[in-house]
Amino acid sequence: MSVRRLPSSILGGLGLAALILLWHGLTASGLISKAFLPSPAATLDALVGGLRTGDLKGQLAATTLRMLNGWLFASVAAIALGSLIGISDPVRVYLRPTLAFARSLPASAVIPIAISLLGLGPGMVLGVVTFGSVWPTLLATVQGFANVEPRLQDVARVLHLSRLQYVSKIGLPNAVPDILAGMRLSLTIALILAVIGEMLSGQEGLGSAVLLAARAFRAADLYAGLILLGLVGLTSSYGLIWVERRATRWRQAALSPNPL
Amino acid sequence: MSLPHPALEFAAVALELGGRAILEDIDFTVARGEFVCIIGASGCGKTTLLRLLAGLIAPSRGKVSLDGHLVAAPSPQVALVFQDYGRALLPWRTATGNVSLALEAMGVPVGERPQLIAALLAKTGLVGHADKYPSQLSGGMQQRLQIARSLAQDPAVLLMDEPFGALDAMTRQGLQDEVLRIVGERRTTVLFVTHDLDEALYLGDRLIVLAANPGRIARTLDIALPRPRNQLATRENPEFLRLRRDLFTTMQEMGA
Amino acid sequence: MKAWRGALVPVLLLALAELAFRARSGPSDSLAPPSQAIAALLGTLSDGSLLVGSAETLATLLGGLAIGSLAGLGAGLALGSSDLLRRLTFLSIEMLRPIPSVALLPLSLLIFGFGYGMEIAVIAFATFWPSLILTQSAVAQIEPRLLEVARLLRLSRWQRATKIVLPAAAPRLMTALRLAAGVALVVAVTAEIVSNPQGLGHDLMVAQETLRPARTLALLFWVGLIGWGKNAVLLRLERWLFAHRGDVDTRIAT
Repeated sequence: MSVRRLPSSILGGLGLAALILLWHGLTASGLISKAFLPSPAATLDALVGGLRTGDLKGQLAATTLRMLNGWLFASVAAIALGSLIGISDPVRVYLRPTLAFARSLPASAVIPIAISLLGLGPGMVLGVVTFGSVWPTLLATVQGFANVEPRLQDVARVLHLSRLQYVSKIGLPNAVPDILAGMRLSLTIALILAVIGEMLSGQEGLGSAVLLAARAFRAADLYAGLILLGLVGLTSSYGLIWVERRATRWRQAALSPNPL
Repeated sequence: MSLPHPALEFAAVALELGGRAILEDIDFTVARGEFVCIIGASGCGKTTLLRLLAGLIAPSRGKVSLDGHLVAAPSPQVALVFQDYGRALLPWRTATGNVSLALEAMGVPVGERPQLIAALLAKTGLVGHADKYPSQLSGGMQQRLQIARSLAQDPAVLLMDEPFGALDAMTRQGLQDEVLRIVGERRTTVLFVTHDLDEALYLGDRLIVLAANPGRIARTLDIALPRPRNQLATRENPEFLRLRRDLFTTMQEMGA
Repeated sequence: MKAWRGALVPVLLLALAELAFRARSGPSDSLAPPSQAIAALLGTLSDGSLLVGSAETLATLLGGLAIGSLAGLGAGLALGSSDLLRRLTFLSIEMLRPIPSVALLPLSLLIFGFGYGMEIAVIAFATFWPSLILTQSAVAQIEPRLLEVARLLRLSRWQRATKIVLPAAAPRLMTALRLAAGVALVVAVTAEIVSNPQGLGHDLMVAQETLRPARTLALLFWVGLIGWGKNAVLLRLERWLFAHRGDVDTRIAT
């Protein structure tokens, strides 16, 4: 039977297994020092052990909560603010360069100022996470409002829809696909900023765990932390994609190509 | 003395895709230098016939042959002109560059290319547009460019898939006459797909009518109209009108 | 006149900030008015520290970007052309990709120590993934009609890749490069803030630690300017390179 015929899930699993075998081979043969690349077995031990004894569990929870809290605050603020900006064409035009500049600013660059203002505590980290996560969703919301079919705007005028009604019945639903895409990007940024914040402030979490493991030359613990961080990113991303798919069925139906 | 092979042959060809029968019982030959038009409603598989000849797909049953040889892959002797010329031209190359692509594929030495390209552009009426990009050319000119590229192969067989379907009537008529002139010079065998009755009668020596679902040959007829064809004279020829009426009735009966 | 509309908001905000600061009683450890920030910015320019810091950051940015995007390009081309390869690797890619590059800084520091190496390594990792994904999708979106023309003309693999695939994908590859460059800048500055004692990120942290808010704000603005400028230049370049093609959607601004 040709390898090509296997279902994608099995092929993917085979590929992953091959990668892990390669990993094992690299460490077992001594090609890469165990200080830099622990064996898969050791990493698994550290991962399972850490989760069981509660150390990694607590850190995982801390980072995830930090990421989610900041992201949720940011999303609400971004959608609200984005809607206000989005419904008014002139406001959008005036703000466009400012928003463009803010978008290209690396979110981590504001950390020094945040430290000056808020110190090195959990408040600073949450503040930075929130601040950084606002922009993708904010811009996406504005974009979503900006590309409302002009004909629909005319309809709204003819039906005498109030500002609030326009936002809730036309603006937001139209912007939902863009907003969700923006929120997915915001979530990625939230995780990154949470990790940075932990590394700088020493707050409990996977970020500081990885940093401490590196300093103490505990490679297996380091990699265990990395794997967990990857998993957090993966599940949150896919979770949002699932929501995106369900919420944007109408657009997918319109965009899917004619099978003929 | 054995008979020479027909230029093109379909022998009991059938094609199934995804459980659906696309073509069934396709049996016909085309002689060297013949201009055969294939006509039928949308979805009857006329494009598929060309793709079988071009070697882009293989039949489920039966044999597709070129000059006696089974078609297994695209042949340098066969050129295919698509309807959607915009998508078949390289947008990042000029007209010259687009024609050059065929020459590069054939391994023509660099030194010989400019002359050949100039000649091809002249033949298709694109002199003066050599350095323009497809986006700067009108629809009719883009289609001429595609034809120029296909002629670069100096093909024995020219397959044309509703090449003028996306063009306006006047451009279409001009291009019809150009194609007749070009293939007349080289005695190229042509298989021309169209949904336009008048066009098929105007251009062809023979006409094949395809019925749909699944695609099969409903009718063939010979077109005994004098050559060279003329947009006014031929279309007013009583035989033309008779054939037209005849075909129209056939198409109507087929529910086209 | 229209161009001035965009400048209105920032100018107003800066003016407000300036006035608010003047209204306070004394200087602050954490903030400074725009006037002082501008002065500080000019100061860093004249004493050369701005150029040194920028050069260091840009050097690692370019080094990491070159490695990451070239590797991503190659891998993306391979995966985009081979269905089997794509299906074998997609799971592994999905597992490795979400690891935040910043989390790799301690590891990179462990392996390479301080300096250019550790930063370039992490930037290469971070830029590899978007390059890979976007190249793959660029190859997948090549006009299928053109690939058929390649078959009909019986182009060899190499001819197909160089005459059809690469030119057809080029606009999207440029976009991928622009986005990867954005990632590279963010990661570079982050690496310098968190662990590497060189470049603009490090300068930012030092300015904050030594309680020089004007300098901190100046550097912050400068970093933002680099980010915005790089994006604007690359966008212009994209439009200029591909405007004549007519097959490219030059509206894509991100």
